[in-house]
Amino acid sequence: MKINRSIAALLFGLALIASAVVLAPGASYSRQERDATFAAASRQHMAGTDELGRDRLVRVSAAFLLSLAGAIMASALTTAAAAGVGTLAAFGPASVGWLAMLVCDVFLALPWLFLLMMVRSALPLTTSPANSAAITFLVLAALGWPACARAVYRGALHLKSAEWMLHARASGLRSAQIVRHAIPNFFPLLLPQFLVCIPAFVIAEANLGALGLGVGEPLPSWGGMLLELDNSAMLMQTRWVYFPVALLIVVLLLLDAIAVEVE
Amino acid sequence: MSDETLLRVNLEAAYPGKSILRDVRFELQRGEILGLAGTSGAGKSTLVLSLLGLLPWRGGRVSGEVELDGENLLALNERRLRELRGCKVALIPQSPMTALNSAISLQSHFVEAWKAHEDSGRAALDRRMQDLLAEVQLPSDRGFLRRRPSQISVGQAQRVLIALALLHRPQLIVADEPTSALDPVTQAQIVDLLRRLNRRHGTALLYVSHDLVSVLRLCDRVAILDSGAIVECLPVDALHKASHESTRALLETLPVPLDVLLSFRNSAAPEPLHLVIAE
Repeated sequence: MKINRSIAALLFGLALIASAVVLAPGASYSRQERDATFAAASRQHMAGTDELGRDRLVRVSAAFLLSLAGAIMASALTTAAAAGVGTLAAFGPASVGWLAMLVCDVFLALPWLFLLMMVRSALPLTTSPANSAAITFLVLAALGWPACARAVYRGALHLKSAEWMLHARASGLRSAQIVRHAIPNFFPLLLPQFLVCIPAFVIAEANLGALGLGVGEPLPSWGGMLLELDNSAMLMQTRWVYFPVALLIVVLLLLDAIAVEVE
Repeated sequence: MSDETLLRVNLEAAYPGKSILRDVRFELQRGEILGLAGTSGAGKSTLVLSLLGLLPWRGGRVSGEVELDGENLLALNERRLRELRGCKVALIPQSPMTALNSAISLQSHFVEAWKAHEDSGRAALDRRMQDLLAEVQLPSDRGFLRRRPSQISVGQAQRVLIALALLHRPQLIVADEPTSALDPVTQAQIVDLLRRLNRRHGTALLYVSHDLVSVLRLCDRVAILDSGAIVECLPVDALHKASHESTRALLETLPVPLDVLLSFRNSAAPEPLHLVIAE
């Protein structure tokens, strides 16, 4: 199980460039230049500007960083929750395991996009942009754990009947010692789950954003920028409107490649 | 129960809805090697787990007595049982590769097993490990001990498990088919190692196996387990007097006549190789 170094390096490089763009002096994702809307690429705006005259490169870079950081944190949360539920279900009484997996199945059977929309729209729309970003990713994390928990449960069941565990008991090891030694055995199980969830959350956030339910303006997000593609008149103005979606595809491919490699 | 009796067993064991052991009765003397032979499915592994009080961890239930040194293990609570396991009675498991935790180093296996019963520090463990690893003929350098179980051979893993079993100088070692996963040469080496350890330290050994040849080579007495009951128990030298049909069936599977195997065992015990060459 090894993460492909070159793919990870490529993604890291992209993140570095994006950070440089966002942190460059004078860069702002929200400053509007009303006399330069839909400007073409220029020295000042290397990927042109959007309909409000905001620098597209800075916005795409910020959206990339925000979505990646949010997705990673949400994925970490969801994996941790799944690890908790899965382990408890496997090592607890049989009835607890049965109940936990029933809840997972119910969650998995729900049409999650509609559920996301429902949950997100039930939450206040007038929150600050930062809060809206936090809420979006928290909701993703809260709805993402069941599939992961099922996988952890299977793995933990396998671990529970592992020969080494019985041998550890036969050697008189205390339960705490055995649990401590079981933890490293979970990493090969959790790492792929963690990595698979990241691109899923990036695209889920983009979906929500494109429906206007994601990260609030003026914070940039993939979803918000995809909304630009809604208006065919704008598509004629400049090709740079395709830049966000192109970068989104590249990022998703890279994230998927990392996850697949590890699996 | 005489002073010489180390283990006295009289138990029944079952999994939910299925009785596995119904009449298992035998005794083991101090320093003795008792072979427990039986076909697959006779209940050998269930018996091993029952003796160590581990059957509940596999969902089974044991009743009766397992009297080790005058103490009935089946009447003890889990806390007290844990204190005895690994310390007074140890297990050499069947499949060396899966019995070691693949996520931690060999060194960690020893450290944890040591900490389970000993408060004395690392220096004492290091000394004990040096002795043990030399005894089971394994390297004891840091490089070797840092390896994971997947980085050593099956034979080496089995030696590690034997060393782990010996760590706290138990009175009794239960070996559950310790050679079944090994090639014939390694099998012979492990059997010889077990015999040497028994002679040197006087550790009693319950050697559970379906391989009658290794049982004959190693054991003083042999008990035959058939469909959940001990049907016969007699000294290895007296095996030709066996009367039960399942004992006879097992004897018929021997590749060489019994008396030939026994004469080889009796005469060749100290230096088998020289005698073979001389002949």
